[in-house]
Amino acid sequence: MSPGLSYVVIRSHALMGDLLTPGQMRALTEQESLEGFIEYLARTPYGRISVEMEGDTSLALEKVFYQKFIERMMGIVDLAPANIGDFLHSYYYLRFEVINLKRIIRGKFSGIPVSQIMESLIPITPYRVESYEEIVEMGAFEEAVRRLEGTPYSSLVSTLELSERYDAIWPVEIALNHLSASAVFKSLERLPQGGRGLVRRIVQTEADVENFLVAAKQRGAGERAHGAEEMFPATYGIGLDKLREAMEVGDVGPVIQGLDRPYNEILAPLYEGDVALIRSRLRQHIYETVRRGRAANDFGFNVVMAYLVFSEIEKDDLVGIGWGMTQGIASEDIIKYLAIPNFA
Amino acid sequence: MSATTGVRPTKGYLMEMKRRIGFIERGTEFLKLKRDHLAKELTTSIDVLKGRRSKLLEDLRIAYRAVTAAYISLGPTEVKSQASSIKSRLELEVLPRSIMGVRYPYIKVEKEPQITGELDITLSEAAEKVLGILDDILQLAEFEARAERIADELGKTNRKVNALENTIIPSYRQVIKFIEDKLDEESLEELVRMKLIGGALARRRE
Repeated sequence: MSPGLSYVVIRSHALMGDLLTPGQMRALTEQESLEGFIEYLARTPYGRISVEMEGDTSLALEKVFYQKFIERMMGIVDLAPANIGDFLHSYYYLRFEVINLKRIIRGKFSGIPVSQIMESLIPITPYRVESYEEIVEMGAFEEAVRRLEGTPYSSLVSTLELSERYDAIWPVEIALNHLSASAVFKSLERLPQGGRGLVRRIVQTEADVENFLVAAKQRGAGERAHGAEEMFPATYGIGLDKLREAMEVGDVGPVIQGLDRPYNEILAPLYEGDVALIRSRLRQHIYETVRRGRAANDFGFNVVMAYLVFSEIEKDDLVGIGWGMTQGIASEDIIKYLAIPNFA
Repeated sequence: MSATTGVRPTKGYLMEMKRRIGFIERGTEFLKLKRDHLAKELTTSIDVLKGRRSKLLEDLRIAYRAVTAAYISLGPTEVKSQASSIKSRLELEVLPRSIMGVRYPYIKVEKEPQITGELDITLSEAAEKVLGILDDILQLAEFEARAERIADELGKTNRKVNALENTIIPSYRQVIKFIEDKLDEESLEELVRMKLIGGALARRRE
């Protein structure tokens, strides 16, 4: 273990204590009001957060939780030794940048004002582009995509033709997903042997589930199913044949039942009728995978990954709880879509 | 002030009053017909509304649950961002329609939103659920507005009928009776006067 890695592992161990326990997450969900939620949060390592009660409070809360996660993530990723740092940068900075680029492209596509697009971005410093403002300030959606020429996102320009043909942005979004996924897999090779397996399991499961969701959304679109190779250039546990089948059939139930574990369990809500449960099951699966990975090796990269993954899932859950609180949703209706409280 | 104040007790005025009351009574009969028809329409509308409303509330509950799940699962900013990418939005035109002279809004869907392709499957399913009941929501809104306008008109018509039956028509009748009494009185006076003159003339001839 390199000295650099030792420091990051020890730091991750220390910071793990700042994470909320499943019990605390459940208690937060069970608060009767937003004020109660903020009050309870003040008694945790989050401390007292200040949120503007005017306007959309859920958006303000989401920003706070993202900010906290980014601080935690930067506190580890920026200190990690080069080989691990490469992967973590791709996994976090690149992934968030891709989300921001998607939001910019969507905003430009529908002609949303610049200020609103900027407001919707994850507060992170640009990673592979020079500035988000420059892209946002472009006139039309096509110009915004062309502005990416000369950056690692140059390949997006070639998807513009397809976008124009369908008057849609999904070709650009799919290309962005592939760019992000391939960069993550490329950087995986540099990870230490021990951690590679854990990360590969997480990344592959995420990619497979996302692929299947895209395929399931296209179900019934027979002629598009022939383009499955272009739509899914990288497949892992769920092969192209299964994805093609999902696109061709009307009922995906038998296709999902024919998949191996954990995919058949994660994707079951697709035919049970509650699609939103898929993402919470995916998060629960990742949480469990990382927990087991950490149990197997509590002194290596797995701990770093566990801290970051737990932090991100905590952030996603808190964003969900925050939104539910502002809308006055009953706790049992919130909990089932969360990951961490279900381990309480 | 009495209904008979300023009334000219002439035969011409009596005829005019009788013509007017005949017209008012026919109008009242029409208004009563309108009132009965509106009441029938309203009763039917309320029965239909009750059934449709409870079904729509159940469908809305299901759709709202799906939207809630999408928000919790994806986060509010992502939901807003994805939703903003839908170019083809719902376009409506509100046109006037009329039943028994009661105008109510009729909602015409000019363009339905196209949600395929741009949204995450969670949001897409929620949007499909909302889109699936959109027609029902619009129809119910239209039906509620119609029932509300019918109820308003029924109230107005009822007030008019009551005013005509209990105030206007009785006051006209009172005027007519007053003129008829006056005219009877005058003709009796005239008869007495004629008799007196006749008697005086007869006495002079003797």
